[in-house]
This record gives sequence, C-alpha cells and structure tokens, in this order.
Amino acid sequence: MFAHELKRIFSNTGTIVIFFLGSLAYPFLYKAMYWNEQINDIPVAVVDLSCSPESREFLHKWAAAPDVKIAYTCASMVEAEKLLRDQKIHGIIYFPKDYATQLADPFGQAHISLYCDMSSFLYMKGLYMSCNLVMLESMRNVQIDRYQQMGVDREFAWELVQEAPYAERALFSPTGGYGSFLIPAVLVMILHQTLFFGICMLAGAIREEKSELYRIPGRRRGYSAFRTLFGRGAAYFVIYYALAAILLGLLPRLFEIPHIGAIGDILRFNVPFILSVIFFSLCVGFFIRNQEVSIVLLISTSLIFLFIAGISWPKEMIPDGWRYLSYLIPYTWASHGFIHINSMGASLWTTRTEYLALWGLTALYFVTAVLMFIIAGYREERRESRLAALSEADRLSVASDMAVPAES
Amino acid sequence: MKEIFLNIWNVLQRELRRMVSRPLYLTASVGAFLFSMFFFMTLMQRGAAEMMPVAVVDLDQTSISRRLIHEMQATPSVDILLVTSSYQEARQAMQEGRIYGIFVIPSDFYRHLVSFKRPRVDFYMTNAYTVGGNTAYKQMMTMANLVSGAFQREVLRKKGMTDDVIMHRIQPVSIEGHMIANPWGNYMIYLVSIVLPGILGVIALILTVFVVGFELKARTSKEWLNAAGGNYTVAMIGKLLPYTVIYQTLGVVCYMMLFTVAGFPVLGSHWRLLFGLLLFIMAMEMMGIVLIGCMPRLRDALSIGALYSMLGFSLSGFTYPNMGMLPFVRAISWIEPLRHYYLIYVNEALMGAPFINSLPTAMALVAFTIPALFVAPRLHHALKYQNYPIN
Repeated sequence: MFAHELKRIFSNTGTIVIFFLGSLAYPFLYKAMYWNEQINDIPVAVVDLSCSPESREFLHKWAAAPDVKIAYTCASMVEAEKLLRDQKIHGIIYFPKDYATQLADPFGQAHISLYCDMSSFLYMKGLYMSCNLVMLESMRNVQIDRYQQMGVDREFAWELVQEAPYAERALFSPTGGYGSFLIPAVLVMILHQTLFFGICMLAGAIREEKSELYRIPGRRRGYSAFRTLFGRGAAYFVIYYALAAILLGLLPRLFEIPHIGAIGDILRFNVPFILSVIFFSLCVGFFIRNQEVSIVLLISTSLIFLFIAGISWPKEMIPDGWRYLSYLIPYTWASHGFIHINSMGASLWTTRTEYLALWGLTALYFVTAVLMFIIAGYREERRESRLAALSEADRLSVASDMAVPAES
Repeated sequence: MKEIFLNIWNVLQRELRRMVSRPLYLTASVGAFLFSMFFFMTLMQRGAAEMMPVAVVDLDQTSISRRLIHEMQATPSVDILLVTSSYQEARQAMQEGRIYGIFVIPSDFYRHLVSFKRPRVDFYMTNAYTVGGNTAYKQMMTMANLVSGAFQREVLRKKGMTDDVIMHRIQPVSIEGHMIANPWGNYMIYLVSIVLPGILGVIALILTVFVVGFELKARTSKEWLNAAGGNYTVAMIGKLLPYTVIYQTLGVVCYMMLFTVAGFPVLGSHWRLLFGLLLFIMAMEMMGIVLIGCMPRLRDALSIGALYSMLGFSLSGFTYPNMGMLPFVRAISWIEPLRHYYLIYVNEALMGAPFINSLPTAMALVAFTIPALFVAPRLHHALKYQNYPIN
C-alpha cells in the first residue's frame, strides 16, 4: 500500500508540481516579497499655511523618521490632493494658518491635519505613528514653556511633562516586520494546502481511473480499511514530514526571521500537524469525484482557512460560529502552535492546547476516514451485486430474445 | 460576417448544453464563490480591531497601584484579561496566545509617586501577531498616558490649578487624522473589496483552463472546432461568452453587496469600476488560455494555474504595498491581473480619480490578450490534431 501510493505520487505530474514545486518555491517567493519587512520612505506632501519656524521644526523632525519621505511641498490642498489622486504620494500633512499663534497662546490648542491613503493599512500605520511621536515630542517643549510662564521652575517643568517614562518593548520580533509576522503563518499554510490539495487531487484521480486501489480484495472488512489508510497515510507522512522539517525547521533560520523555538519541539509538533492534515484531506477526498474539482476547493478554502484561523485578523474578532468551525481545521491549531513555538519561544508544554488538539483531530479524522471507507465498501458491494443481478437479468432477457425468433 | 455570428451561436448553444449536462464544475465554482462572499461578509462584522486582551503585572502591590488598575479596567478601550504579580505568568499567557501585551507596574511605583518623582512603567507587546500586537500597543499607550496624566494632574492640583486650565497644558497640540475614503479605519473594506473579486478572477482562470482542457482530455475538441466552422477565434468566443456573462453577473451581485448593502465607499464611477472588473475577469480568462495552450495536459495546467493565481493576492499589494517589495518581485506583480484591478479599484473607489489615471492599468489588462495570441497557433493545432499526451 505504502509503496503503491508513493509510486502514484511520483507518477502524477500534477502532484509533483504541487508537492514539490509548490511547497519549495512558494516560501522563497514570499521571502522575496517581504524582503524589506517594512514600508520605508512613504512619500508625502506638505501643505504649510503657517510657514512658521515651529511647523518647519516639526517637519524636520518628522522627515527624520524612517517611515516618511517628504516628496512635495504644495501651496494648497488642491494641489496636494491631485498628487494623492495620481498616487504620487500616500499622505498629506496640513498646518493651518494659526498653527504658530495657537502654540504661542498659553490657552490655545494647535491643530495638525494628517490625510492618509487608505489603499493599504501599512501607509496609515507608518504615517500616523511617526507623526504622533513627533507631536508628543514637540508638545513637551511647548508644555515646558507654558509651565515656566506660570512660574514653575524649568527643571521641575521638564520633569513634569516627561511622559510617565515607559520602556516599550516589542517582544519576539525586534524589527516588528511584516514578513517576520506573516511568513511563519504562510509556511504552515503552504504545507497545509499543498498536502490537502495533493491528496484531494490523487483521490480524484483514483475515482477517475477506477484504479486498483479502490478494489483491493477484502477491503470491505475493517482491518483492511486500517491497512489501506495506514499505508497511504504513511506515504504522505514520509514526504511531508521531511518537507515540514525543511519549511518549519530550516527555512526560518535561513530566512533570518525570528526562530527562538527549540528545534526538537518543532519536530515533535510537526507529527500531529502532518498526520491531522493527511487524515483531514483523506476524509475530504472521499467527496472528490475528479481532480479538477479539488482545484476549486484549494482556492476557495485557502483564504478562508487563513482568515478563519485568526492570524492576520485577531482570533478575538472572529464571530463565534466561524470560530467553532475553525477548530475543525488543522491549520487553525497548527499555525498558532507553530507561531507560539517558533516566534515566541514557547515550549511544547505551553503549546499543549494546540498540540493535543491536533492529535484530537488526527484521531477524529482517522476514525471518520475508516468509517467512510467501510461505508464506501458496502456501497460498492451493493452496487456490484446489483450490477451482477442486472447483467444476469440481461443475459436471461437476451437469451429469451434469442429464443423468440428461434421459435418463430 | 453573418456566418461568423451563426457559428458563434452554434458554439454557444453547444456550450450551454455541455454546461447543463455536466453542471458539477460550474455549480461548485459558483457555490464556492457565494460561500466565500457569505464568509467574508459575516467574518468581519466588526471591521476595526479596537480592544485586545492584555495582562497587567503588578509588582508594586500597593493600594495606589491597585487603584490605577481599577481605573484602567474602567476605561472602555482597555481589555485587561489578567492581573498578576508574576511576569513569568504573564509571559506564559502571551506564549499561549491568550494576551497580546504585558503592562508592568514596577515595584517602586508607589515610592516614586509619593516623593513626586515620575513613576515609570514598562510595557511589552507581541510582534508575532501584527494586528493584535499593534492594537494592544495603542491600548497600553492609553494606559501609560493615564499614568502620566494622573501624575501631572495630581501635582498641578496641589499647585492650586483648576482641571480646565490643566487640560490645555496637557494637550497643546492635537493631530486630526483623516483616513481617506475609509474614515472608520475599517480593515474589512479594503480587504473584502479585493479578496472577493480576486476569488472570482481565480475561478474564471481555473474554469477557462478546465473547459478548454476538458475538450482536449475527452478528445471532443474536433467536434467543438467543427461547430465553429473551423475558426479558432469563433470557437473561443462562443465557449467563453456564457461563462464571462456568469462571472460578471456574480461580480455585479458581489459589488451590490459591498457597495450598496454594506455601504463601502466609492468616490468615483461605479460603471468604470464594474468595467474594470470585466476587464480583469477577461484578463484572467486570457491567462487561462495561455496556460492550457502551453500545457495541454489538463492537470498540469490546473496545478500551475492554481499556484499562479493564488500568488496574485499577495502580489497585488493591498496588504503589504508593492513599494516595499524587491524590484524583481514588483516586476512579477505586473503579470498578475489582480494587481491591475487593485490599482483601478484604488483610483475609482478610494481616490475618485479621473478616468485618465485608470487608463494605463485598463490598457495593461487588455494587454493580457497578447500572450493568448501567441499560444493561439499552438492551441489551435492541438485542438485540430489532438496530438498531445493525455495522462
């Protein structure tokens, strides 16, 4: 069974493409895509109606932030809006006429307007956060002046306006890059979907060819279902365990994305991950009538699996119904578990929920697959016996047909 | 001329019969699309992430620190899941994925506060989850400001100032953020507006590969070509026309859901956006022809088609902008029709830009016909002589 399945995998160009080209080329493409990790030098335009030393100082500080590049200085908002529409810039900062006078007024509040292109959230995040930091800093100077005017001595004023000093630290990924965050989830997704897809495709091929695999003698008895599933499962497991070791163990190190997890834990975690995906796919494969339908399945499920798992969109925001459904998909547990171990340095014990859930899914889908196998066997048997009866009847009717002219 | 239309009509009738007799693929695709639509529309009922659970580590354990924690818990934009006195416990909760940030009140907090020294706090957010971590970060900034604001207020009150006067001193500069065409900072708007048309495009590509490839696989391509009077172009038009109509209808349904029912903004022209969608779908069909033309074996073309079209989602740049990609990756993104559709979407829906801005991208979508013309002789040959491996 095992050798047979391996032979099938390697003789079907479709599965070779998906299993090996897909799973090995995709990670490198994604790494290349997110190579810079961050969006730097977002071009912006300045509309400064106040033309004051204060606004210039603000801009000077802002331009020093890595996120921002002041590409144009415009005389009016109309001009800047045109640049934005032409996608030459992704943001506009606007200082009203009274910016400096409001700052000078001890009771005044000065306003700055920041317009962000919303075609990607990363523009907004970069512009807004850097602008906010500059604002807080210049605000402090103003505050010190104002306190001094009130007769507070300079040193105390300085002490006073310092933000409750806080050390903010990003845990686990010092650069806070987009790739560092997304690539681990993508690696798990690539393994999950190529395996899922490959198995469904082969299941379709089996149906189409009415192959031997579907008609092994004695398959209707339970032990044979076990044997078949173990054999086929083992073939996929050997290939995919190796691929998973490369993708989840080696590539994070090669790509220099965060990898603080113990390699042993990752390898142990991969066992239920790969097994659960195999049996999940074998179960779904029972419904696949031919190879082509599996493609539609792959495409429509990939994005749904990605979002339902709550990686890029936090799991706390997923409506309950969808969240419960997501518990049935191995990707949900596998992606979170891998991120916890690999990117956050959790131990296997800390990830026990995900680890045990994957074993649970393995058991669930294995039992389901066995049951479906047995049911399919009975159906086949019934159909065959019906066919046999039918052909018997055919033969009889043909015989009687033959008999009639003979009589006449 | 009349003959051409007659032949197109012939092929079209034949295709409709085939569609009805083998309804599986079309219903599977339409079903998959409608399900995706339902999924994404219901998934993000709350379009903006506002609160993420965080932990507070109280190393100070005094009445002041506890009062501060109460004050934070009462703040509506803050969600404190766990209050503990051990940093280890909080860190473990983070590794288990239960919280996205840790806010630490140090052990000398009370001592500093009573001696009019600035109290300090530390906070940590996870970068392993971007949206969750960022939201937690914003939230903890609020919490830190609560600390410093409370401190300034206490000191100034002791100096005999009123709260009103104090406020102007605490906040002398404000930034008004304007999020163009998406004032709610709604994550769903730009995500769903691209993902759903994207799925539709992928289905268009895959089904095109399939309906052409299946004629090759089942060796019925000669019959198809005969129905078209031996004319390759007529055969293609007649075959793809009914599907294109179906996709565009689905596109319009999806569009109505997004822009009228869900109320997503469109600053520019609805018609031009829909026309852009049609061009996008046709470009995907052209790429389908290219794939089956290069790889007449159905499952090879389908596998490559799946890998190619799925890349479009990331390469289009609606999550991670193209300007941050390596130049060669940016070049690859041009061969993904979704990239061009995204640009039209930005121009029309978000920017309300004049038509001239979308023209180059629209032309680029039309240009996907060129590679399809290149494979035409080869594919025509294959249809006519059926000289290729099936399995």
